[in-house]
Amino acid sequence: MGFLSPWFLGGLAALGLPVYLHLLKQHKSVPLPFSSLMFFEKRTQSSIKHRRLKYLLLLALRLALILLLALAFANPFVTTAVNPMAEGKKLFIVAVDNSFSMRTGDRLAPAKQQALDALSTFRSGDLGQVVSFASKASLLTQQVQDPAGLRTAIQSIAQGDGRSSYAELSQMLRSAAQASHVPVEVHIFSDMQKSSLPSPFSELSVAGNTRVILHSQAGADEPNWFVESVNAPRSVYQAKKVRVLATVAGASSPALDTDVAVVLNNKVLETKKVKIPANGRVTVEFFLADAPYGLNRGEVRVSAGDKLAQDNTLPFALERKEPGRVLFVHEARQPRGVLYYKTALDAPADSALTVDAVTTDQAANVSPQKYSFVVLSDVAYLPVQFEDSLKKYVRGGGSVLIALGSAAATRPRVPIFDEAITESRYSGRNAERFQGAASVDSTHPALSRANGFEGVKFYQTVQVVPGNARVLARLTDQTPLVMEKKIGEGRALVFGSTFDNIANDFPLHASFVPFVEQSANYLSGVEKSAADFTVDSYLELRSAKDQGTALEVLDPDGKRALSLSEAATAQTFQLPREGFFELRRANGRHELIAVHADRRESDLSMIPKETLALWQNMGRGAEQNNGPGGAGNTHTAPYSLWWYFALVLLIVSLLESLFASRYLAAENEPMVRKEAA
Amino acid sequence: MLQRFLNPTVLSSISGLELVAKTVVDGFVSGLHRSPDFGFSQEFAEYRAYSEGDDLRHVDWNVFARTERAYLKRYRGETNSQLTLLLDVSASMGFGSHSLSKLDYARFLTASICYMSNQQRDAAGIIVFDDDVKNYVPPSTRQGQFARLVHAIEKAEPGTRTNLEKPLLHCQQFLHRRGIIALISDFYEEPERVIKAVEPLRFHGNELILFHVLDPQEIRPVINEPMLVLDMETKDALEVTPDYVRNEYREKIDAHIAGLRDHAQRAGMDYFLLDTSRPLDEALREYLSIRQRRR
Repeated sequence: MGFLSPWFLGGLAALGLPVYLHLLKQHKSVPLPFSSLMFFEKRTQSSIKHRRLKYLLLLALRLALILLLALAFANPFVTTAVNPMAEGKKLFIVAVDNSFSMRTGDRLAPAKQQALDALSTFRSGDLGQVVSFASKASLLTQQVQDPAGLRTAIQSIAQGDGRSSYAELSQMLRSAAQASHVPVEVHIFSDMQKSSLPSPFSELSVAGNTRVILHSQAGADEPNWFVESVNAPRSVYQAKKVRVLATVAGASSPALDTDVAVVLNNKVLETKKVKIPANGRVTVEFFLADAPYGLNRGEVRVSAGDKLAQDNTLPFALERKEPGRVLFVHEARQPRGVLYYKTALDAPADSALTVDAVTTDQAANVSPQKYSFVVLSDVAYLPVQFEDSLKKYVRGGGSVLIALGSAAATRPRVPIFDEAITESRYSGRNAERFQGAASVDSTHPALSRANGFEGVKFYQTVQVVPGNARVLARLTDQTPLVMEKKIGEGRALVFGSTFDNIANDFPLHASFVPFVEQSANYLSGVEKSAADFTVDSYLELRSAKDQGTALEVLDPDGKRALSLSEAATAQTFQLPREGFFELRRANGRHELIAVHADRRESDLSMIPKETLALWQNMGRGAEQNNGPGGAGNTHTAPYSLWWYFALVLLIVSLLESLFASRYLAAENEPMVRKEAA
Repeated sequence: MLQRFLNPTVLSSISGLELVAKTVVDGFVSGLHRSPDFGFSQEFAEYRAYSEGDDLRHVDWNVFARTERAYLKRYRGETNSQLTLLLDVSASMGFGSHSLSKLDYARFLTASICYMSNQQRDAAGIIVFDDDVKNYVPPSTRQGQFARLVHAIEKAEPGTRTNLEKPLLHCQQFLHRRGIIALISDFYEEPERVIKAVEPLRFHGNELILFHVLDPQEIRPVINEPMLVLDMETKDALEVTPDYVRNEYREKIDAHIAGLRDHAQRAGMDYFLLDTSRPLDEALREYLSIRQRRR
C-alpha cells in the first residue's frame, strides 16, 4: 500500500488538536451541595467511570475523524494485478487530421474512409471517441459504445485551414488515457507532415496503456510551390503607385519557371515571369497603378501544377483613402516653421496627413473640427472665436501641438494648454552657447524614434510651469522641452521651442522627420496595425475606449461570425479560415482583414519512417516495461482506496456528531430539577 | 383564581422580617373568621358568673349589656406564656433548591411566631444555634422585644454542624419558667437522638413543638445523571445514582420523617413538617388549627 499524495499525511499533525482540546476541556464533575449525606449510600455504578468511558469514546472518534481525513487526502492505493485484455475493454480513439495540408490532392476523404474502415475492429463493449485535430484537438464525440455515432462523427469532419500540431493531439491523448482506466488504442490519420512535429520530441509521449497506430495519408514528399508572403501597405493615401512585394517559394520541389500575378478585386493587374529555384524562393516586386478608393481585395498568384492549389494564392487587403489634414496656425511673419514642418510631414513615402497652413488672422473663420489635429506654431495672438472653438475641439477629443518661441513668450499662459509661461531663455555668448536635451522619455509614441534629440542645439527655449502636465523631455538645465497634458477627451503636446531653424537647429537633424511623423500619427490617431493574419491567429477587436460598444465581423461568405453577445463584449476573434473578413469596428471604421493559412503547412515533407516508428513505440515501450509478454499480459496498476476512507470518514463523523451532542447535552443539563410541588 | 396563601417566593421578595411576619400572621388570622384571641396562650375557655372580689377588668361588658348579668371571660392561659424559639442555623439549613433556603423559611416562621406572641403580649425569646449557641434573646414582654427578636433572626446565618445536645443544655440553664419551646430545625440526626436531646426540656414541664423544615428536593430529590453529592456540613462527597435517589433515598427520608413524628408524639411533643415550597401562612394556619383541635 502506498499514498498517491503523501504530502497530505502532514495533516496527521492535527491529531494533536483534539488531544489538546480534550485534555484542556476534560470534564470535571462539579459536586452538588446537599444538606446531608445521611441518607445517601455509595453505589458501584460510577458516574465518573461512565462519563470517562463516553469521553474516551468521543476522543477516539475525533482522532479517527482527523486520521481518516488525512488518509483520504493522501489518497492511499494498493497495487492490483490488471489484465486489460482479460477484461476485454479498451478505449478506441480515431484521430483525423483536418489541417490545411490535408487539402493536398484531397487527402481528407481517403483519411475519413480509412477511419471508417478502422472502426471494423471496434468491438462491442469497447468505448470509442472521434477526434479531429489541426492546431487544436477537437473531441467530436464523447466516449461512446455506439459505432454508428462514431461513423457519423467521422463523416462530419470538415476540411480546415489550420496548422496541424501533433503535440496538441498527444496532450489530448495523455488526458484521455489518464481519465479512463482501460487501455487506449489510437488510430491517427494524417499526412505525417514534418513541420507539425514539436521541437522537443518528448511532447509526443503518450501514457503507458496507449497504443498508437499511425495511418499515413501521404506516400512520399510532394513537391509544392506557394506564395510565402506578400508585403503590401494596408492603407494608401497618395495617388502614387503602390509597391507590393511577394515571395514565392518551393518545398521539396525542383526549379520551376512560372508566372506570378497580382490580382486586385478579381482583376489581374500585372503578371511577371519568375524562376523559382529548387527548394528555394524568389521575391517579386509589383507596382499597382490604379488602386481604387475604398477597401480592395488583392492576392498574389503563382501558377504551379502542384497538388496543393490553395497555397498558390495569398490574399492581402488594401485600403485607399484620403489623407488626413493638419491645421498649421502660425504668425504671418514667421513662415519658416510651416515650411519645415510640412516638408517633414510629406517626407514619408505614403504620408497619411497633409498640412493646411493658416496665419493667426486667417484662423478666425476656420473650424478645427474637420482636421485630424491642430498645430499652433509660436503664436502670440489667437482670434477669440478660434480659441474658443479650439478649446471645444480639444475637450471633445481633438489634439493640438503647440510650439513656443519668442512670439508665444509674450503671452502670460500657453494657449489651450493653460499653464504659465515663466520666461523665454536665450543661451548667451557668455555662458553656454546652446542647450541640449538631457532626459527624453523614448517610450512615448511621439518620441520613440526622435533619437533623444541627440545633437540638437536649442538656442532659445520658453520655460513653462509643467503644472499637472507630464514632462516627456527636458533640457540640460532641466527646463521642460516636451510636455503632454490631457484636456477633457483630447490632449495637448507642447514643444518648448519652434519648428524653424532660428531658435534651434532641430529641422536640420535626421530625428526631425521621425519626430514630426510620429507625433502627427500619435495626435491624429493613425494606427499602423498589422496587415498579415494567419488562420487561428487572434484579431484584436476593441481598444480600451471601445468597451461595451457593438461591432461586427463578417466571414468570407458574408455571414456574421459573432453572436450578439459576443459582438458587444468580445475582445478578440480567432480567425478560423482563409479569406477576407470584414470588420466593422465600434468607432464605425470598416476594415478588411486578409487571412491566409500558415505557410509552414505548405511544406509537405514527411516525417522520416524511423521517427514514425519511434512515435508508435512510445506507448508500447511503456507497456512492455510493465511486465514480461508486453501488451495483453497482466500488469500491476494502483487501485485508489480514498473512496473507502471517505465512506468510513462519513460514518465516523456521524457517530461523532451523535456522541458529541449527547455528551454535551448531558453536561449542559441542570443536575437537579425541581420536582413539581 | 386568587392566590389564597402567600407563595414562599413572594415572602422572599419582601424586605424586612417584621413586614414578612406581619404579612403572614395578619393574613391568616383575618382569614380565620375567628376571634383574635386565637393563639398560643390566650385561648378562650368559658364564662363564669361574677363573684365578689373578681377583677372587674375581666367582666364581659357586652354580655352584661345584653343580659344585665356580670360574667367573667375565662382563658386557658390566663397568665402570659413564655415562648422560646430554638432556631437551628447549621450549614445544612442553608440548602435550598429554589429561591428560598430552609434557613430563610425558618427565619420567616420564627419571625411570624414572634410577631404573633408579641401581639398577644406573650414573652417571646430566641436561641440561635448550630453546634453551639450563637445568639440568645431572653423571653420578655418589654417594649422593643419584637425588634430585638427580629434583629436576632435577621443576623442568623448558616453556621457549621448541628449539635442539639449542647445548645439544649444551654437552654435548660436559661429557662427557669415553664413555657412553650419551639425547635425549628432540619433534624439531620437519628430520631432517637433528637428526642433524647430535647426530652429534658419536656421534663421541666415545657411544651415542646418540633418544626421540621425540609426542602422539597430533600423529600423527593430528582437527579438525571450519576453525580457527586457534597455534604454541606461535613464537606464529604459521595457519588450517587439517579436510581438510588429515586428509590432507596425516598424510603429512607420517609422512614426518618415517620420515625421523628412517631418518637415526638410518643414523647408528648408536637411535630410538624414544613416543606419550604409550601406557603408559610397556610402551613402555620394548619398547625394552629390542629393544635387548637388537640386542646
